[in-house]
Amino acid sequence: MSNGIKILFGAVLGVLYAACGLLQVVQAIFGTMESLEALFIPGNIFSGSVLLVIGTVFLTGVRKLSIGTEEGMPFIYVGILFSVGIGLVELLALCALGADAYLVGEWADWSAADAVNPLLYLAVIGVLGLLAWGKEFFRGARAA
Amino acid sequence: MTREIRIALTGNPNVGKTTLFNALTGSRQHVGNWPGVTVEKKTGKVSRNGCEFEVVDLPGTYSLTAYSADEVIARDFILDEKPDVVVQVVDATNLERNLYLTTQLAELRTPLVIALNMADMAEAQGNPIDYRKLSGFLEIPIVRTVGTRGEGLQDLLDAAVKEAKTSPHHEHTIGYGNEAEEMIAKLTDPLSADRTLSGKYPLRWLAVKLLEGDENVLAKVRGGAASARVQSILSSINSDEYEATMADKRYEAIAAILPQVHRTNTRGTTFSDMVDRVVTNRYLGIPIFLALMWGAFELTFTVATPFMTVIDTLTVWLAEFAVASIEPAWLGSLIGDGIISGVGAVLIFLPNILILFLILALLEDSGYLARAAFIMDRPLYALGLPGKAFIPMLIGFGCNVPAIMATRSIESEKDRLISILVNPFMSCSARLPVYVLFAGAFFGAHAGGVMFFLYVLGIAVAIASAKLFRSTILPGEVSPFVMEMPPYRLPTAMTSLMHMWSRGSMYLRKAGTIILLGAMLVWALASFPYGVEYGSAESFAGMLGHLVEPLVAPLGFDWKVAVALIFGFLAKEVVVGSLGVLYGAGEESLTDALFADPSLSAATALALMVFVLLYMPCVAALGVIKKETGSWKWTGFAVAYGIVVAWVLAFVVGHLAPFFIGGA
Amino acid sequence: MEGTCPLALLAAGTEAKVTDVRAGRGMQARLLGMGFCPDARVTVQCADRGSIIVSVGDARYALSRGIAMKIFVGIAKGSA
Repeated sequence: MSNGIKILFGAVLGVLYAACGLLQVVQAIFGTMESLEALFIPGNIFSGSVLLVIGTVFLTGVRKLSIGTEEGMPFIYVGILFSVGIGLVELLALCALGADAYLVGEWADWSAADAVNPLLYLAVIGVLGLLAWGKEFFRGARAA
Repeated sequence: MTREIRIALTGNPNVGKTTLFNALTGSRQHVGNWPGVTVEKKTGKVSRNGCEFEVVDLPGTYSLTAYSADEVIARDFILDEKPDVVVQVVDATNLERNLYLTTQLAELRTPLVIALNMADMAEAQGNPIDYRKLSGFLEIPIVRTVGTRGEGLQDLLDAAVKEAKTSPHHEHTIGYGNEAEEMIAKLTDPLSADRTLSGKYPLRWLAVKLLEGDENVLAKVRGGAASARVQSILSSINSDEYEATMADKRYEAIAAILPQVHRTNTRGTTFSDMVDRVVTNRYLGIPIFLALMWGAFELTFTVATPFMTVIDTLTVWLAEFAVASIEPAWLGSLIGDGIISGVGAVLIFLPNILILFLILALLEDSGYLARAAFIMDRPLYALGLPGKAFIPMLIGFGCNVPAIMATRSIESEKDRLISILVNPFMSCSARLPVYVLFAGAFFGAHAGGVMFFLYVLGIAVAIASAKLFRSTILPGEVSPFVMEMPPYRLPTAMTSLMHMWSRGSMYLRKAGTIILLGAMLVWALASFPYGVEYGSAESFAGMLGHLVEPLVAPLGFDWKVAVALIFGFLAKEVVVGSLGVLYGAGEESLTDALFADPSLSAATALALMVFVLLYMPCVAALGVIKKETGSWKWTGFAVAYGIVVAWVLAFVVGHLAPFFIGGA
Repeated sequence: MEGTCPLALLAAGTEAKVTDVRAGRGMQARLLGMGFCPDARVTVQCADRGSIIVSVGDARYALSRGIAMKIFVGIAKGSA
């Protein structure tokens, strides 16, 4: 019944991503809400949209799986890949901006916290999924 | 004692032929053009055991009919130039289709060796090929190769040498069925009477081609001794049917051999297919793609920043050093202010471009980009553009030069022309310095939004232009989209880096030549007549500006802007450099100088950016357009169209902007 | 095996056998070279939008709707 775990995983990540995405987009339109700053959810329409897309991929997979078709599996896997991939992008961006701050001499003023956002930390959960099911996925869902 | 052997490299598209070619020839390559066509011709050299090999990379084709320039080039080369050996690169994971080409090559009766490439992937899939057995069946030597790891190359060359020396060559015949064989026999008789033909080409091959209705061969036969008899025989048959039947027979013959050399698997649905279901999903397809693009741009702009800072600091330091320490003063100024600053302004964006191209190369080599082209095909089709124009448009965001060259994959001439004409509207990296400067000076915190607007505007103009061309000067239907989807693979660092470099180096070359000249030219025009204040209205540059000023006055531009725009013709990066010279300001102060200039407002700044976005392609891009279209007419059109569109839109934007900018 | 229908109309997962290709000369030759010849087994992989991705042997091709309408197949099995 490992399927059950995957569905749960997909559902949790799907909801988290979609929610953060929604919050980011809403803030971008209506202005930042202080309570969310503590959770490191800035207002940004672009990264918000990306969060929404990843969330939708997960949720679509969950929906398909709940109807009973195997078709939903790839969605969860692709969602995980996406989550980890974009998380990596954010990590590299963070390092680059830090390096730049150092070079320009503003190291003291810069704080990594400025660059932290859901795309970065939700990916940590994604990595768990990758470690758990990565091999299974890449060996190929050969069974037609 | 060295012997020279000429190898022709052929094979299906996507079999790793280019990787193999690179692995064999390394840096000893030369890229040119096949005469009369805009198809790229690559030749290279490699030596082994005292033998020099010349390797000619023929275009990748699925078969050897006469319907595309690629195929005709490939087979004409084999038949007319008679290379010592033909090496067909075969994809071990796709044997059935690859062998189709093999049957056709065998009919050419040329010395043939097969390089069974991607053997590692076939083995990883648990489906190794018994190539010795296959070789026995086909009577063709087969060498196992892995292009990406450089395995099997030496054996390949050895086999080539051996095959080149062997003669005569067996004729591999595929039985085409009684009816067809009868016709072939009927045709070979009169054909043998034509001495020129029979001396040059294998008779059976000629007969087979004639039965298939091959226009090219038909033309060769006409006017010869066999013409009349051949034509009377052909008039009684339906070549369409024969073509299909004979193709069928070829596949039958292949199907008979295959099960004996590997586990024929109906591969069913694979990992690639599962991912495809997600990625091409009707609703998620485009959002996923956009999300990936966002990731790509985010990565490009952030990771490039520290590198840009380093290059910037170096350039400034170097320039100051040059001005301060080189005698005489004018030379110091030329080298420092002119050359170093000018070229530096370009090099600063090199990290940007290289990273973007690397990401694109990774996406392409992994196989995803083919899916993206598939997803975008429908929307593009509705806009009058072929789906295959998609990748060139993406590349255009880095630099239009390799982008326009990438349109070669579009088969239809008209489609290709339209794609080439609209490509310059994709905002290339060269225009970034202008945006950064003006958006930064006049729009402060909203600079990012303004730049985004410009990129979108570029895309919108490209689309509208495509539609316009489609309905007026280049009418016709967009040709159908047929594209192979290679299986997803993990891209190798080496291949992707080389890929990135082949495109990125074009940008560097541009910097090293055109921009260098441009920087010197700007400096010269700004320094003379002798004794004049550097970059003032009395210099030649100033005079030029005043001359052109009336043309751009309605847009709100003054003579300084006019001069900068003229120099921008050389390369758009030069615009910023020229402005720096004309305002007598260095990097930081230029922003302030511009802001302080009474003739420039936020609205005119916006109009200026729009103008730079749209007005004609730079010299380098024009050069490529001329080369790829082979026509001055269209190149001139690109220039004229660009200027007109730029002027009109800049005018509109400049006058409408105040209404929107007011509050912000 | 019932009557034949164009490839474009099949759902994802359907397996079929090519009966004939009714395209212009050039396109026909290309399709033949790619593997779309009579009696070839094909499987539709993705059919979410007008154009499709179809597998022939070990290769995968994306075909626009127009081309897919010109390739006629007979259905070997029911769709998934």
